[in-house]
Amino acid sequence: MALLEVTNLGKTFGGLKAVSEVSFGVRAGEILGLIGPNGAGKSTVVNLVSGAYEVTTGTIRFANEEVTSLPAYQRARRGLVRTFQSTAIFGAQSVRENVLRGAHLTNYPGFVPALFGTLEARKRHEAAQALVSEVLRWLDLEGSGDKTAGSLPYGHQKTIGIAIALAAKPKLILLDEPVAGVTAQEAIRIRDTIETVRRSGVTIVVIDHNMRFISGLCDRIVVLHHGQELSQGSPKAVLTDPKVIEAYLGTSHAHALDR
Amino acid sequence: MSDPITLPRQHVMKGLRIAPGLLGVSLAIVAAVAWPLVFTNPFLLTIGSLVAIYLIASTSLHLVIRMGHISFAHAGMMGIGAYVSADTMMRLSFPFALSVSCAAAASALVGLAIGPIVLRLTGKYFVLVTFLLGEIIRMVFVDWTSLTGGSNGIQAIPPPFAAVASSLGYYYFALGCSLMCMAFCGRILSSEIGRAMDSAKEAEPLAASCGVPIVRLKVVIFTISCGLAGISGALLVHLLRYADPTAFGGLQSLNLVIMNVIGGMGSIYGAIIGTIFLTTLPELLRSYVELQRVIYGIILILVMAAMPGGLVGLVDRLRLITASDRKN
Amino acid sequence: MLSPMILAQVLLNGLSLSAVYILIALGFTLLFGIMRVVNFAHGSFAMLGGYALYYVYGKYHVPYAVAVPLAAAMVAIASLVLEQFVFRFFYQRMFQSMIGLIGLDLALTFSAVLVWDVYERSIPPAVAGVSRIGGLIIANDRLVVVAIAAAALATFWLFMTRTRYGLAMRAAAEDVEIAETQGIRARTIYRLAFLLASFMAALAGGLYAQIYALSPFMGEQPLLVAFIVVILGGMGSIPGAAIGGLILGFSESILSTFYGASVSAFASFGVVIALLIVRPWGLLGKPE
Repeated sequence: MALLEVTNLGKTFGGLKAVSEVSFGVRAGEILGLIGPNGAGKSTVVNLVSGAYEVTTGTIRFANEEVTSLPAYQRARRGLVRTFQSTAIFGAQSVRENVLRGAHLTNYPGFVPALFGTLEARKRHEAAQALVSEVLRWLDLEGSGDKTAGSLPYGHQKTIGIAIALAAKPKLILLDEPVAGVTAQEAIRIRDTIETVRRSGVTIVVIDHNMRFISGLCDRIVVLHHGQELSQGSPKAVLTDPKVIEAYLGTSHAHALDR
Repeated sequence: MSDPITLPRQHVMKGLRIAPGLLGVSLAIVAAVAWPLVFTNPFLLTIGSLVAIYLIASTSLHLVIRMGHISFAHAGMMGIGAYVSADTMMRLSFPFALSVSCAAAASALVGLAIGPIVLRLTGKYFVLVTFLLGEIIRMVFVDWTSLTGGSNGIQAIPPPFAAVASSLGYYYFALGCSLMCMAFCGRILSSEIGRAMDSAKEAEPLAASCGVPIVRLKVVIFTISCGLAGISGALLVHLLRYADPTAFGGLQSLNLVIMNVIGGMGSIYGAIIGTIFLTTLPELLRSYVELQRVIYGIILILVMAAMPGGLVGLVDRLRLITASDRKN
Repeated sequence: MLSPMILAQVLLNGLSLSAVYILIALGFTLLFGIMRVVNFAHGSFAMLGGYALYYVYGKYHVPYAVAVPLAAAMVAIASLVLEQFVFRFFYQRMFQSMIGLIGLDLALTFSAVLVWDVYERSIPPAVAGVSRIGGLIIANDRLVVVAIAAAALATFWLFMTRTRYGLAMRAAAEDVEIAETQGIRARTIYRLAFLLASFMAALAGGLYAQIYALSPFMGEQPLLVAFIVVILGGMGSIPGAAIGGLILGFSESILSTFYGASVSAFASFGVVIALLIVRPWGLLGKPE
């Protein structure tokens, strides 16, 4: 039974069809990879699934519920959370504050209780702080707790982005290009972080253009090309799929996937 | 702790927060209460009341600005509250407590009606729409003569109660209301609501992914802000004893925005400093209205060109400089 | 009711209004498109153009055909001082420019009050009387307004499409660095754009002052018009300013003739608000 079910997803901007007829499912507990060169429609698909864009066609079902017309925060409340490529963190705040904001759903008691600082509000805040400490410890970020997030190395910032997402206690995290722009060493660290997250039972969808990274990490892969789904299946199946080979690996576009 | 790479958090320029602390705030309140005992001039007391009244309007506007939306309709919201309070008191003989509640409710309802639509707009479009809406509200004040008296306005508006009919009495009354409203705004900002507001302003999609209900939060804050503006407008016309549309048009909305901008948009203290500065300054140049405006205009140019962080930013920078001097 | 006579009046009125509106809006949109400033002082430039024409044509009796461009040129060149000492600090900083230029508008308007006074003056019309064309009676001064504005706009269009500087400016509206590869420095482009914008605003202001009346506060109306036209057409879009100007000019002429000035004002505000909500980038602008 799929945790996330995307059916016939399509998005048109003006006259431009960015994405069309994309369908895939994500099973609970697995790591799914979404891959394709720049312009293939990966970011659009992520934005549609997370609620940043409205769909033109298609449906999205999450945890057995239709979420297609729900705004992003409602999806987050149901456990569908994401990281971002640009503005991945609250740069001007400390690392601890960043993760605390991620814990909004635990922390926020409602408008009136927040205003009056009721007992309920205080209890929730304590729970949120405990959650933050736990997440920081788990992702090995405790040392940086008080540092300003925006001043840390880029790879660190990406990890903080994952920490923020974790603080929302998600069922599924969409990781938007988690290793883009990081050093090789940071990429290894982030990869380990993703494995750690998976071990805790969270379902993960990783979006990237690097085939090596994706195929080493993911249980299954969906390949996008020109806004449409080209192939999906296990890494081995996808890598040996003649359509994929023709589109990427056999031609000079091969390097586009390997960057 | 002196890590050369990372700045200690409180000095980060993000909001240019200054926290004068409990001592500073208490001193300010004591000063605000005590000065009329020395300076008894009724003219000065009226200015004091005006400052208190505009503080309610500008700090409530600060809530909206804190969410990244600069509203040019705020004086219009004041006007709605002003006319509702005047009409309900004079025609329906409502006691002040009831008439001012109606004033707040009326402005809040208008804010609630337009909020969900206009708050989805970003930056400059929001500015333009609210500017036009403010103009429409003013035109309605001028045209709906049966309720507002048209361009002539409403005269002989009674004071809230007999006890506050004098300049001194009204000053303390306005000061009390003002302190309560500002404390309310300050409380919102320092609570978890404020945390959610700041995360929505700083990185909206990220905040949404954390579960912050962006539009809903903006609408709630906007509605509250409009309600407070309504209270401010009501207090204004009961002080001046008349209401007329020119006090609630685009120029006045602009003033409120400038009070926030000049003081510094990152913190409520910016709104407070800006309001005090811009309400008292014209009074110092009372006799030279035109020259005053020219100087006002030049000050705006200078501040925006040289100090985008506003006066609060200046204070903060001074503190940074003196702090690092002390370290060395 | 709808006699050819009235129709002709309404259309000519619409045409002359449109012409003036386009002139004002073009300058405004140039400044936004290239330098990303929201020129709240644009109306003041128009006002200064009005006063310049008042002196050059009204007091010194320079022949009209020379006076109009001369007055506008005087204001444009004088305003280069403002470019150097005020505008320059706000380029590419939209929000600061909004508040800072509001300050400039205040300073200019109330300086005008100090120098002149608040009372309205009038500028004598270019030509008096009416012409009779094919049975219709047409006011001559409206024709003159249309002719002047058309000449200015045609010149502008030629400049923007045929000269190297014009092309560089159009490129700069997309990206200043691209424009610099044309071999023209950004600073020159900015100064040129500013000169053109203030020239057109001053020119329009002179015409405005002839149609209505001249006072230090005269600029509020043109500023509002500039905003509305530019929102309609799309901020930063030059053809958008032309289309927006036509729409506003004609609708104002039609609505105010048949339904009165109030209705016309409410209608244009209402449409603009609706547009901002539904399609804020206007008819020809780019969604961001």
